[in-house]
Amino acid sequence: MTALLILFLTAIAVLFVGLKYRSLLQPLALIGTLLALGATGYDLFGPGFGWGAEYASMFRFMPFADAFSGVAILATALIIGLSGWGFRNLNSTLGDHYALILFSLCGALIMFSYTNLTMLFLGIEILSIPLYVLAGSRRDDPAGNEAALKYFLMGAFATGILLFGMTLVYGATSSFDLASISRAIGNGDQMPSMLKVGILLMIMGLSFKVSAVPFHFWAPDVYQGSPNLVTAFMATVVKTAGFAAFYRLFAIAFPGAEGFWSVPVAIIAALTMTVANATALFQKDFKRMMAYSSISHAGYLLLAVLAIGTEGADRALLFYTLTYSLATICAFGAYIAVAEQSGDGSFSAFNGLSTKQPLLAAVLALSMLSLAGIPPLAGFFGKYFLFTAAFAKYPWLIVLAVINSAISIYYYFKIIIAMYFTRLSAEDSAEADAPNGIVLPAGVRWAVMLGLLLIALLTLAPGSVYGLI
Amino acid sequence: MSLIFILIPFIASAILLLLRPAGLSRHLALVASLANLVATAYCLTCDYSQGMNCTFSVPWVASAGISFSLGMDGITLIMLVLTNLLAPLIVLSSWGKAFENEPRYYGLLLMMLGALNGVFLAQDGLLFYVFYELALIPIYFICAIWGGQDRIRITLKFFIYTFVGSLFMLVALLWVYLQTNVNGQHSFAWADLVAVPLSPEAANWVLLGFFLAFAVKMPVFPLHTWQPDTYVTAPTGGTMLLSGIMLKMGTYGVIRWMIPLAPEAMHTLNPIFISLAVFGILYASIIAVKQSDIKRLVAYSSIAHVGLIAAGILAWNKAGVQGGIIQMLNHGINVVGLFFIVDMLERRLGTRSLADMGGIAKSAPKFAALFMIIVLGSVAVPLTNGFPGEFLLLNGVWNYNFWLGVLAGLTIIFGAVYMLRAYGLVVFGEARPETANFEDVNPREFLVLGIIAGLVIVFGFFPQSILGLTEMSVDRILGAVQL
Repeated sequence: MTALLILFLTAIAVLFVGLKYRSLLQPLALIGTLLALGATGYDLFGPGFGWGAEYASMFRFMPFADAFSGVAILATALIIGLSGWGFRNLNSTLGDHYALILFSLCGALIMFSYTNLTMLFLGIEILSIPLYVLAGSRRDDPAGNEAALKYFLMGAFATGILLFGMTLVYGATSSFDLASISRAIGNGDQMPSMLKVGILLMIMGLSFKVSAVPFHFWAPDVYQGSPNLVTAFMATVVKTAGFAAFYRLFAIAFPGAEGFWSVPVAIIAALTMTVANATALFQKDFKRMMAYSSISHAGYLLLAVLAIGTEGADRALLFYTLTYSLATICAFGAYIAVAEQSGDGSFSAFNGLSTKQPLLAAVLALSMLSLAGIPPLAGFFGKYFLFTAAFAKYPWLIVLAVINSAISIYYYFKIIIAMYFTRLSAEDSAEADAPNGIVLPAGVRWAVMLGLLLIALLTLAPGSVYGLI
Repeated sequence: MSLIFILIPFIASAILLLLRPAGLSRHLALVASLANLVATAYCLTCDYSQGMNCTFSVPWVASAGISFSLGMDGITLIMLVLTNLLAPLIVLSSWGKAFENEPRYYGLLLMMLGALNGVFLAQDGLLFYVFYELALIPIYFICAIWGGQDRIRITLKFFIYTFVGSLFMLVALLWVYLQTNVNGQHSFAWADLVAVPLSPEAANWVLLGFFLAFAVKMPVFPLHTWQPDTYVTAPTGGTMLLSGIMLKMGTYGVIRWMIPLAPEAMHTLNPIFISLAVFGILYASIIAVKQSDIKRLVAYSSIAHVGLIAAGILAWNKAGVQGGIIQMLNHGINVVGLFFIVDMLERRLGTRSLADMGGIAKSAPKFAALFMIIVLGSVAVPLTNGFPGEFLLLNGVWNYNFWLGVLAGLTIIFGAVYMLRAYGLVVFGEARPETANFEDVNPREFLVLGIIAGLVIVFGFFPQSILGLTEMSVDRILGAVQL
């Protein structure tokens, strides 16, 4: 709650400061997020503030919500760290950008802590509406406009379906409160068909939000068309929020009906990882590849929803979203530095990066290895915890997930191959030595180094986060 | 104590990769690998009669029953001797070459060394898996950055082959882990995993999962197709690491993890496994006889020798396992020597084709003599290091099944045929213009080859020095895991 207030006030302050003191914007936004991170940490590790943990049975900041808030706020802080450079070409709207990101983050925090379906709906809307604007923030770029329109239309459509589902669930259980819904469902042997349809519609709506197959069609275009940092935000914070909300809903409100919803969710998970991985193999553009990669990770993350009721499912989800977010942000940080300077986002832009810019290449290589889940990197432990949690219930799905992680090596390694193993032609090496090669702006350097440090920390001591909740 | 074997190489590797001290990298690599050798020598004096010694254990992910747990017995000790004895030689053999970005090469090499030591020391299932995979990353980079023609495609195939193979092992390991129950919690500790009784059906799957991982690594027919291309395209240091040490991760894994975890399924599946191993011996030997490329010939000979090691270990009797362990060490020594010789030939003559060689004995007598000793070790002539291991291995296979023993015995005949043929073509015959001025070994090369040739003779005369170290540990593991 404290973190939510801090973020909200920072966002408003940013809006006004942005009118006059543009150079203060990034430090202010960064300080706000770090304060919020500190407040979350105080609630999680320390004695806590002791107030506002619960509000009118609308939301409740338990360790679950605090830990996920920590992940989302940390990811946002890193993105803001990258932004000094990523947003440098914006002139009049810089303040709006920071404010919108922070408002969106407020929505994510609500989605981590809701105990009532209305708050879920509000959280999703608060998260999404700023993003519709951010996706189209490059107003003169047709691809950006296409992305924004697609995102808005699909998002609105998904929200409608979700809302329809909520209404039906309300009709069947006469409550919006998660715990009361769970009581009304009981052990799930007498579910009215209205409830079943409601749950199915909610699965569909949430699948749209987390871009699970077959509701993923908007994602590649939106990811590719949006400004790079907004894409990074969508791929990390939005995904974390979507899955935490998904998990919360099914773990608190619908555990009794598991026999009914587990089959469709399992099918969606299997489809998501397989289709996304198979499509990612054929991508030639980094951002588009990352879009499909993010969809495939959605498939793995659905395993956490399926593992509800197993010890450690929530911890696995937390660990996975954290490692996935860190690796994705590091990858985007490196990508922004490369693509914006060479003006090319295809894989060939990375050729010979290991000689031109060894640090950047190392960061990107480790992020790719972590995303591919190669031991001993943090991403491996994420996959490991997730797969173990769901293994007892769905052995066949785990085998499929393991095969899919093997397939994913192929496309993640394309980047590594381009950076390290592609020998430069004489002309290119001359260019690499030239002073106008790729420079690494200070903000990017600090953000990716911090991300890398955190990945290393999670690699050496996975238990530090896994044991949190 | 065990931790040192991992810490020294990793710290040195981090220094090389992060600080990139251009001129000093090879010296630092040599010092670090020699320090590990000294530590190994110290460990030779410890007592392993009571099971694991020099243990080190801290919880890693306590809530999931994963611990960072190391320890060594006689079997591990021989693997450490293998790794840390060969590492300085591999560093020295790369010494004379100019590499683009040298600190990166030696840094990756040391990272590999640390991971290999970790594989052999790990006493926790997940830790073993993590090191097993960690070893793959540096070698992939070494082969793909400094390799030869078509390296990107070949090394990616190698990576995906071995990675997918070990994923099956991970699933099998997870299955056993989920059956453990230590005070209400799952555990990855070796003893807890071994104690799990598996149903026959589950045991079959678990054994198969482990076998796929190790069979790819060794490699066993028909999962060997990545190997000849990778060996040929890799830089010599990489080939030495792969053939000398890395494939022993597979054979070691069979002894320590595969059979102890799922002995229930050995009766059903082992006949298939051993037959594949023996068939692979014959298959690789026949191909080796026909090779005209010397590097490829040594690669196929390696498949044949490792097939015999695998067959002997799978027979799971004392002769077979003892022979397997001693032969892992000796095959490592021989194959590193052979690949070093191949590298010298390739660098001096610019070709690997046997047809373009000949007459080197006149211009380079020292080279020819050292080459001879290593070849004799490789074909297992009595009083060289190859003999006791192959003898025990054949004895083990023979005890398991007479006819398999006979077929596996052909490996010695074939080995003599292809190795001596290659030796003859390289060293004897008419000198060609290119080979007439073949430069004899320089002091650094003499040091490397001399040490290897010395080891061939010493271990040939005193095999008991190794067998005595492992005997108690082998008895212990055979006693604990009865089929």
